[in-house]
Amino acid sequence: MAHAVPLQRLQRWMQTVVVHPKTVGEAVASPEAEFDVPASRLADVVLPSKTLTPLERIGIYHGMYLLRMRDVLAGDYEALEHFMGEMAFTGLARGYVLAYPSRSYSLNRLGDRLPEYLRNAPRVRHRGFCIDLARLELAIQQAFDAAETPALTAAAIAAVPAEAWETARLQTVDAFRLLAFRYPVNAYLQSFRDDDHDHPRPRRQDTWVAVYRRDYKVWRLDLPRPAHDLLADLSKGVPLGRAVGAALERGGRRPPDTEDLFRWFRQWASGGVFQSVDLSPGD
Amino acid sequence: MSNRWKLPDLGIGIGLRTVHFGSILGKNPPIDWFEVLSENFMLTGGRPMYVLDQVAERYPVALHGVSLGIGNTDPVNFDHLVQLKALAARTRAHWVSDHLCWTGILGRNTHDLLPMPYTEEALRHTVARVKQVSDFLERPLVLENPSSYVEFAASTMPEWEFLARLAAEADCALLLDVNNVYVSSFNHGFDPNAYVDAIPADRVVQYHVAGHTHKGTHIIDTHSDHAIDAVWELYRRAWSRTGPTATLYEWDENIPDLETVHAEALKARAHREEPAAVGA
Repeated sequence: MAHAVPLQRLQRWMQTVVVHPKTVGEAVASPEAEFDVPASRLADVVLPSKTLTPLERIGIYHGMYLLRMRDVLAGDYEALEHFMGEMAFTGLARGYVLAYPSRSYSLNRLGDRLPEYLRNAPRVRHRGFCIDLARLELAIQQAFDAAETPALTAAAIAAVPAEAWETARLQTVDAFRLLAFRYPVNAYLQSFRDDDHDHPRPRRQDTWVAVYRRDYKVWRLDLPRPAHDLLADLSKGVPLGRAVGAALERGGRRPPDTEDLFRWFRQWASGGVFQSVDLSPGD
Repeated sequence: MSNRWKLPDLGIGIGLRTVHFGSILGKNPPIDWFEVLSENFMLTGGRPMYVLDQVAERYPVALHGVSLGIGNTDPVNFDHLVQLKALAARTRAHWVSDHLCWTGILGRNTHDLLPMPYTEEALRHTVARVKQVSDFLERPLVLENPSSYVEFAASTMPEWEFLARLAAEADCALLLDVNNVYVSSFNHGFDPNAYVDAIPADRVVQYHVAGHTHKGTHIIDTHSDHAIDAVWELYRRAWSRTGPTATLYEWDENIPDLETVHAEALKARAHREEPAAVGA
């Protein structure tokens, strides 16, 4: 006999079963699912087909849910999946979508919190490396999806009076991300994309990378630490003169000289890292 | 017969897919029109939007969504609708479609097209939401019949009756997916011809044709292959009732090159030209 479950309860029950992280049998028998439909009454809610039981039929949706979520995450985090291996990544995806299920109409942002989740996710080998690699892949997605902002042109740069550069503030394009890592994850990503099987090992090594988009293509640029720190200051709105001064004073193992600075700025400007020069008086 | 809104027969189109972006922009292939997956162009501002703008400039476009969740028991998501309406305006979309299904509740999205029970309660609920969405979009919503793997014991009418009543009561248009009819007919054991014959022909503004994956015990709507002859026969049968209607070939898994997808879509021509053997 049909068990007339109101629409809202029926949907709550089915969603509970479909997104449950264990087997479909365990999902149907879980307390959350049984709150709306007792497992013993499954056949009163879902009809069998000629070839499938009600449990097998609902199991089709249950099985597809995790596969779909996993595939989306694997598309966003290809190198991480490669590093972790398929099984470990599937386990990670299962836990992640349980902790951070999609609440958006778009799947574009499903994996936004994966780096954060990795901090405490169970059974992650080389956790620090995985977190850094995920951060890099997330930055690439963010640069890919960011709104298009026109890059600063050579003409606009030439139009800035020489005396104004000291207090000028450079604004980066929306599709720009600056990252500091504890592991050589950009080198790993490159070796993965080159299909090079001799990947860098996940050993501690501080690295710095800028990710930005130019002409609808995302670029990754390895940076020495002083260049990273200078870009960090500039992207925070520090006036150019003060940022350059700080870069020259910071010192470090190999302090930059003016030649380095000119080379970096040429590279960043031609790469489309900046969108505008703010000449208004600041603080 | 043409549809009651006089929406145009755009010809034979294919879905706009990332793997084909380069071929489309580089070669300007002679494809009648493109169907755009709405949500793929929301929350993104880079190359996908650039490509979409170029495509919409050169070809007729219709939007097709997967996240509207017209049957959801959560309130309508107006953030989504704002984005959808803006995208429709930006692309000058001929129409906006989604599926007769629900996608998630309690704020969650399963990103699946989950089946509705075909009950009076569900019908009342869905009619009200279709009206709400159509009013907001300022155009008739186009709803597609889903493929499904579960039937609810509580259903009091077949899917085709639910769809026909929904279309009449909410005054919405229909996208008839003949592959979905075939898939569900196998999974649930009904006559696909009866389904197609019961659909109000004057409300059909678009067709979908696609391939599927036969698992032996059931069929999954994978859009991963060529359409089988039985699906094309359903298309022929339906087309003989509706007359010239925009047709779209869907290929979403193991997607081959643009030419192969287009060649598969163009098979529709043969079935648009021959009279159907209705009542066989």
